[in-house]
Formats: sequence, structure tokens, C-alpha cells
Amino acid sequence: MFKIVSRYNTLFLTLLLAAGATQTCWAHAILMDSTPKINSTVRGPDLDITLRYNVRVDGSRSRVMLVAEDGTSTQLTLAKQAKPDILQMHASGLKAGAYKLQWNVLASDGHMSKGDVPFTVK
Amino acid sequence: MLVRLVDLFSFLSVVLRAGTLVFQSVLLGGVMFLLWTSRYSLAASKESIERVQASCWKLLRLSAVGLAIVQLLYLYVDSAVLMASADIPFGWVVGANFFISGSIVLVAALFTAIVASGNRKLASWVLPLLVVVIMAASVMTNHAASRMEGRPLLIMVSSIHELATGFWIGGLPFLVLALYRSKDLDTRWYITERFSRMALLSVGALALSGLVMSILYIGSWEGILGTAYGIMVLAKATMLGALLVLGGVNFLLLRNYPRNEVMPRLRRLIEAEVGIGITVILTAASLTSQPPAVDQVSDTVTMAQVWQRLKPQAPRLSYNFLPEVDAAGKPLPSPDPNAVNVDGVPLTPRFINNTIESESNHHWMGVVVLAMGLLALLARTGKVPWAEYWPLLLIFIAVFIVLFADTECWPVGWKSVGACFADPEVFQHRAAALVCVGFAVFELRVRKQKKENDPWAMVFPLMCALGGAVLLTHQHAISNVKENSLVELSHVPMGVLAVFAGWARWLELRLPKANRAIPSWIWPACFVLIGAGLLNYREM
Repeated sequence: MFKIVSRYNTLFLTLLLAAGATQTCWAHAILMDSTPKINSTVRGPDLDITLRYNVRVDGSRSRVMLVAEDGTSTQLTLAKQAKPDILQMHASGLKAGAYKLQWNVLASDGHMSKGDVPFTVK
Repeated sequence: MLVRLVDLFSFLSVVLRAGTLVFQSVLLGGVMFLLWTSRYSLAASKESIERVQASCWKLLRLSAVGLAIVQLLYLYVDSAVLMASADIPFGWVVGANFFISGSIVLVAALFTAIVASGNRKLASWVLPLLVVVIMAASVMTNHAASRMEGRPLLIMVSSIHELATGFWIGGLPFLVLALYRSKDLDTRWYITERFSRMALLSVGALALSGLVMSILYIGSWEGILGTAYGIMVLAKATMLGALLVLGGVNFLLLRNYPRNEVMPRLRRLIEAEVGIGITVILTAASLTSQPPAVDQVSDTVTMAQVWQRLKPQAPRLSYNFLPEVDAAGKPLPSPDPNAVNVDGVPLTPRFINNTIESESNHHWMGVVVLAMGLLALLARTGKVPWAEYWPLLLIFIAVFIVLFADTECWPVGWKSVGACFADPEVFQHRAAALVCVGFAVFELRVRKQKKENDPWAMVFPLMCALGGAVLLTHQHAISNVKENSLVELSHVPMGVLAVFAGWARWLELRLPKANRAIPSWIWPACFVLIGAGLLNYREM
């Protein structure tokens, strides 16, 4: 066993170290700006929503949910991307209350990222 | 269940990404080594070169197959994560950037394995093309390709960086293999000298491209110590510095000493270079999962906050917890109004208690590791024989980790064994405890028997290096970005020191007896520094 290990010790080391490498950070695309802004108050019932990221995101493989105060959630339809770092969508029929946009996006480097934008409709 | 699966697969995905980078670098290094470094020459024996090439073609095939397997698993795991988190069918995943690039790498790696098994002349034409394809596909999924500004420059610089890494660090395993397979001194000399020239060029390209990327991705002095990305870059640069020292020693040895004196030392130094080099690649893989510092301006920790966290303070060796609720069961506020987190938010008694527990655990570990380092230094003097028993302290660490690192888990907590092992952080802690027992058993056995070339002696340095690599790439589940950076700031230096300790001990065991003095002092000193770092570890 050890003869084999010492003969191929470089390959063994490579595999051992590769197997030992672990990392759980998954926040890659960062939300740089949004409309509505985080914790802002906006007028309803119709709302144009824009999310801008630090990197290119894959709009056709990303998902944005609108979660109302009572916990009900609606998946928003994303418009065709005008710029690779921006996602745009429209929400209508919003009643007064607290809402949250839950975004889950695929950055073009293959990393999934997620986050929230809480806001209030008056 | 779905969330847990996604978390587990996300964790696996990063491991596979690290594997991809390692195999990709070895593949690039192998192609360069076979097509340039180990070419036939009158300066080397034809028979020896043939032996070297036959083994190196095998290693190239293995690395190509390894890359293909890792890539296949990566595609499967990443697709599963995307399908679960974005709720889309597999058909939609197929067009994603990562899927296209991963598929290209998979096919190119398989082609490389096939080409490396056939006609060598054909291979010398096709392999460089396959290297270009793999590089292009790899760059498609790194930071450079996803940026909005300066994309062409970043793609060019990233490509140079990855190529130089492959040619130098990825070529090192082939050099070690070549030195093992070639039996005559002339061939060894010829190959090492050619590799040394190529490595020198690669190091220049690597350092220059690394500097440009650091400037563009970090963007400020504060970003170096104030973000996890900057700290990882600093760790990578430190390890690269150690590689340069080893490379520099090799370079001077090659040019200033007779061949028969140099070769035994050179082979061992190159082994350490391979190990540190692979750890640098793993750190790079970890970096690809971090957002660049330049994008985290509002989440950059200030130098005052860094100093506040790092300034030396007396260790906390007691577990004096605060009451969390009053008699009526209502949550109590913190008794100290100055107890705030890095964003100025007041800390709850629950948070403070968790921090007291974690800090005290780290400080107790610090006491043990510091004692181990000091005893190892005493043992090194040769005047204190009982100090040789320092590895027994590792068993104390293992017991401590199992009992106190995750108090909610079995055997002291309410969580079942299965539930605990499904949590990546707990799994890593338990694995670390096992590693400690392994350390203690192997190292004490080695120290008592004192046999030359004892394979069991390699367990301790390998475990040390592996532990360092894990510490460098392991992350705590902390949602606050600034707090996460501060935790990284304390963990990363210890990871680097563990890597250095492991490879210094490796050199002490592997170098000819006359050259062991320097590494034999380095690794106990690294242990002392790790112990001191643990004693000053703080989370608030």
C-alpha cells in the first residue's frame, strides 16, 4: 500500500488535498441597486421593479417571487433583459402592506445567489 | 428537505470546482511538460527520456480522466442545484453558461485522454488545441467573464494567470515523477534545468497577472484586510511567496552546486512545492466563489474594526453565560449597552452566550496547541526527552471538539448522529476530531521508533497540510458579510501556518540529514504561532 502511495505520492497528494477543500460560501451575485429600494415605501397598486447586480445574471434561469404580508407568494414574470446585469419585472394589484421580493439568480459564472428586498406599499 | 439538499449539493459543487481547477492545472502542466520540458536531447539519455515520457503520458491520461469525472459530477450537482432553487426543468439548464462550458471541458478532457493514449506525433499537434479549448471554456465561468466593466482585459489577464499556474504548479507533479523515473543524473539535470527556465517565465506571468487582478478586483487598501476576498488573496500571495523562496533555493542550487550534491535536496524541495502549489490552487478555487472586494464597498470592514478584533487581549477560559430570559420567560436585553456587532446593532444575550462558548473553545484549543508547539521546540533541542510525548495532547483536542464544538449535537446535545453529520460544519468539525486522533497515534509512533523513510511518518505532515487547506477554504455559516470577513481574518493566517507546518515537517523527514535544521525549527514555530492566534481569537 505504502509502496503505491510513495510511488504516486504527488498524485495521491493532489487527490487528498482536492478532497479536503471545502467551502460553503455561495453569495456571488450581489444586489447593487433596486427599485423599490430595500425597506422603502412605494405607491401601489402597480409597480415596476428593477434589480441591478454586480455581475451578469442569466435572466431566463433566475426567479423572483413577490411575498405578501400574509405569506402568499407570486412568481413574477421577468422581462427580456435590456442589460446583462439587470432584471426587470412588473407587479400589479398590490394592496397596502408589507412585501418582500425574494430573488434567486444564476450568475453567468454558474453560481446561484439569493436575497430579499423588503418594502412597503402605501 | 429540499433546502438541505440544495445546501449539501452547493457544498459538493465547491469541492468539485476545486477538483476541476487542480486537475485542469495538472493537465495543462502535463501537456507543457511532455511537449517541451522533457523533449529528446543529446544532453540526456534517450532511454531515460523514454521512461520519463511513458510515465508522464500515463499521469496526463489520469489527470484528463480525473478532470472529465470531476466535470461530469460538477455538471450533475450544479444542474441539480439550479433545478431545485430556480424550479426549472433539466431542458432549461442545458443552455446555461456553466453547463455549456462544463460540457466543453468534459469533452475536451476525454479527447485529451484518448489523444494521450495514441500516436505521439498527432498528440503533439492536437494537445495544444485541446489546452486552448479547455482554457477558453474555463475562463467562461470565472469572475472575469461575468464582469460588466473591463471584461476583455480581465479575461486576458485571467487566461494568462490560469495558464501560468498550470505550466508551473501543474507541471510540478510531472517533474517529481520525472526525477523518480529517470535513473541517470544527466537526464535529471537536463529536465530540471528546462523546467526551471519555464517556471521562471511562468512565475513572472503569474505574479504580474495576479497583481493586475488584485488591483482590479480588490480596488482599495481597506479591501485587502476588510473583505474575505482580500484576505484570501493575501493568503494566496503569502503561499506564493513561500513557493518563490523554495523555487529560488532550487534555482540557486542548480546554478551553484555540483549535480550529485544538488539532486537529492532538489527532489524533496520540489515535493513541498507540489503540496503548497496545490493548496494555492485550492485557495484560488475558493476565491472564485467569493464576490470580489470591489463589489463590497459598503460591506468592507474598517481598519479600526480590524484592530479592535485583533488587538491582543487576555484569553477567556471560563464559560460565564448571561441570563437570556427573565422569570416570566421574556427575553432580556444585554446588560452591556456597548456590546454591539460590527454594524453597531446591539447584541442579544443569546448571541453573547454563543460567542462566549465559541471564544472559550478556541482559547482552550489555543492553550493546547501552544503547549504542543513549545514542547515540540523543547524536544527539538534534544535536551528534554519527555517533551517528545507532545502528540498525546492531540487526543485531548479530539475529545474537546466532539464534546464542545457543537453542543447541540450527539453525544451531548439533542440532535441525532444522522442530523449532525448532514450539517457540513458539524461534519467538518467531527472530521477534524478524527484527524487529531490520527495525528496523535501516527506521530507518537514515529517519534518513538525514529525510523528513516518510515511511510507512517508522512501522516502527520500530510494531515497538517490537509487541515491547513480545509481551514483556508472552509467557511462558517455567518450571514453578516462583515462578521464573516473578521472570522476569515482570524482563521486564514492559521490555515497558512498549518500548511507551512505540514510542509516544513515533510522536508525535515525527506531532506538529507545534513539539510534538515531549518525546517525542523519552522514547524514547531508555526504551531506556537497557531496557538497564539487561537488564544487571541474573538468573535465580538
